[in-house]
Amino acid sequence: MKRIFDAQLIGPFAALVIVSLVVALTTERFLNPGNLSNLSLQVSIVALIAIGSTIVIFAAGIDLSSGSMVALLTMIFALMLKFVGVPLVLAVPLILVAGAFLGLLLGLITAYGRIPSFITTLAALIAFRGLALTFNNGSPIFSLDPALEPLFYGKFVGIPLPFFYLVFFYGLAAFTMNFTKLGREIYAVGGNPAAAVLTGINVRKVQAITFVIAGFMTAVGAVLMSARLNSGSPNYGQTLELQAIAAAVVGGASLAGGRGNILATLMGAMTIVIVQNGLNLNAAPSSVQNIVLGLIILLAVGIDMWRTEISALVARVSGRKPEAEAAAGKKAG
Amino acid sequence: MNASKPLWEFVDISNAYPGVLANDSVCIKLLARSIHGLLGENGCGKSTMIKTLSGVKQPDGGQILKDGQPVQIPSPQAARAMGIATVFQEFSIVPTLSVGENIFLGNMPRSSLGVVDWKRVHSDAAAVLAEMEVDISTEAITGQLSVGEQQLVEIAKAVAMRASMIVLDEPTAALGEDEIERLHQLLRTMRSKGTGILYVSHRLDEVERIVDEVTILRNGRVVRASGETKINVREIVTAMVGEDIGEHYPKERNAADEVVLEAQGIATSAGVNDVSFELRRGEVLGLGGVLGSGRTEIARALFGTDGLTAGRVVLNGRPAAFRGEMDAIRAGLALVPENRKFDGLFFNFRASGNITAASLGKLTRFGLLDLKREEQATQGLIDDLDISAQAEEKTVNFLSGGNQQKTVIARWLFSSAEILILDEPTQGIDIGAKIAVYNLINELTRDGKSIILISSDHDELLAMSDRIAVVQQGTIRRIADAAELNHDDLVRASAETGRNREQGEVLA
Repeated sequence: MKRIFDAQLIGPFAALVIVSLVVALTTERFLNPGNLSNLSLQVSIVALIAIGSTIVIFAAGIDLSSGSMVALLTMIFALMLKFVGVPLVLAVPLILVAGAFLGLLLGLITAYGRIPSFITTLAALIAFRGLALTFNNGSPIFSLDPALEPLFYGKFVGIPLPFFYLVFFYGLAAFTMNFTKLGREIYAVGGNPAAAVLTGINVRKVQAITFVIAGFMTAVGAVLMSARLNSGSPNYGQTLELQAIAAAVVGGASLAGGRGNILATLMGAMTIVIVQNGLNLNAAPSSVQNIVLGLIILLAVGIDMWRTEISALVARVSGRKPEAEAAAGKKAG
Repeated sequence: MNASKPLWEFVDISNAYPGVLANDSVCIKLLARSIHGLLGENGCGKSTMIKTLSGVKQPDGGQILKDGQPVQIPSPQAARAMGIATVFQEFSIVPTLSVGENIFLGNMPRSSLGVVDWKRVHSDAAAVLAEMEVDISTEAITGQLSVGEQQLVEIAKAVAMRASMIVLDEPTAALGEDEIERLHQLLRTMRSKGTGILYVSHRLDEVERIVDEVTILRNGRVVRASGETKINVREIVTAMVGEDIGEHYPKERNAADEVVLEAQGIATSAGVNDVSFELRRGEVLGLGGVLGSGRTEIARALFGTDGLTAGRVVLNGRPAAFRGEMDAIRAGLALVPENRKFDGLFFNFRASGNITAASLGKLTRFGLLDLKREEQATQGLIDDLDISAQAEEKTVNFLSGGNQQKTVIARWLFSSAEILILDEPTQGIDIGAKIAVYNLINELTRDGKSIILISSDHDELLAMSDRIAVVQQGTIRRIADAAELNHDDLVRASAETGRNREQGEVLA
């Protein structure tokens, strides 16, 4: 357990607490149960997709395709339910497999075709959206299945189901990253691919697997998106990939790969959603929300980059000896 | 010489980093017309001192005097303006630009219209190179030059700005014997013209050859400063390590008769040509030769990195066809690469993650890593190899070069590799760590593992190998017992390569 809850969580957790406090103090409705339950619904889709985005980032890749893939998968899902007549219990697993398969495709092109993941998934970002528009003349498909909505809006012992999805998938991801061979290999490939080759790790396979995971988690997000709106649409998921990457970055994952804690991504996603919620409750227009989101991303990475400068500044302001001098003094004495 | 007034004086310089006092009241006097050696083990504070005097880091205490006047060096630009030029280990040349452009980078001669005066760039650069007695075309693309030549370009930058003091950080780490001699000749010329030189090196044989004065640091303090002309290597080692280390090369002979690996006429498109040799159980087979002679390429051929175009590798009596590194590792080979930073270490892991990276399968049951066993096993190795206690607290980028290298080798102690290829295993690490690496080699061969040792340090190669294969132009010229070879054989072999090539050209 010590491994899962390590020091990398402190920063993102502190950010989450501070943001929550500010929103709680500036708005009246933030802490009422309705709003909190609404928040967990809001955060769930982006946070689940962000699991995949983060794991791809851990292996020093990037996945820009998830937003468009959500649109494509909701359309396929809707077609299956509405026009082909596939039962829901079968359609859901089929969509999850489809997502994993699309991820595999991107992974193979990236890892074995040696095309940088930024390019592969940028191409997919554009092409998947186009592909989604080819179904049903580019129109959304509504009223899919009455049993679909409870997947998103349902509750168990009074708690919204998406909360349990988050617990389950983040638990599984944290376990995989910290306690399995695969998790260690993902960090190794992201940390130094050249060294990973020389230690006998199948670097390409590991890279491809991260995209399979990302595709699968995107499919989970797509199913929930369809359930939430009981529909499929080629317009769903716009900029969702960027929100997912933002969640990873705010959670402290290094885009250079190899560093980060998957649970911090959940905190990053929650921080972002709570800020948006706070602005909503204070009736800020959506333009302002986007500006604030941009600033949060800069701030999150900036705090990480300027850590030494900030601690020196804090030391000077508080009149305390910097850690270095204190240690030096100890040694000299 | 001691009577001349110092050019620069660094008085009681102190530098602190979180948790360490890197420099503790260090005093160095740098004279004109003098080559001053700065020595010490890794982590002794040399690098911090270099950063201070090149303006990269502001000292936390002490005083800097230039010609007796107190000054500050607020930035690298200021250092250059004051006449201190620093040639760092990582070069600051732009590989895609010409030699002339690099020499005047940031300071290009301009015509009256304000555009770069290309004629003058190249004529001025040529003048600088001529003054250094270096024969490199100013039009050449710098990245296509040899490492040694690139370094000369780096020094030419310093000469072009008329630096009165040149700081060289490990200048010979990547150079062959010929190139080192050429560099030393250049430094002597510059000294005679009045330039002061601060020379930082791990290679003690060089220091003896070229340095006028030495300052030795240990744990951030000056332990010895000498103005003697005659410098004794053994005394230096003792001062650096802090104890008399006795045997510098603790060689054990563990070679058995059994052949574990045999190369039969192997060739690759990377230039390996008809290479044949046998490696025995417990043996250390040295590959000697200059940089670029094909030693690393032979290692790559054995390891499956470059595909064989001819010949075959026989492993334990059975032909082995490696399609890549993974096959080689599975068959029990291991490569400790020349550049541990580039393809050796995982800087996002602590020592344990680095040590177990090649043997995760060993720690895995039902897909799960046995973290407790990982911790116990790696702690054992960390203790055995005397790797810093910090190794398990922080990621390995906080470790010194020697500790990093020990960590990389420990990875293969933990694995079940039977044949290890060590490519320059002691490059850039201090004496204490070098000896630890030698002891590791002994420990490995005692366990019946075999080693192919690639080293540009001839003394080390001669002392630590059982047999040595002299490599030239991608092929093995001669294999002999290390005892039958001497320093001259290796150096002459390197020199002959160039001469043969010249003769060949004349004949053609």
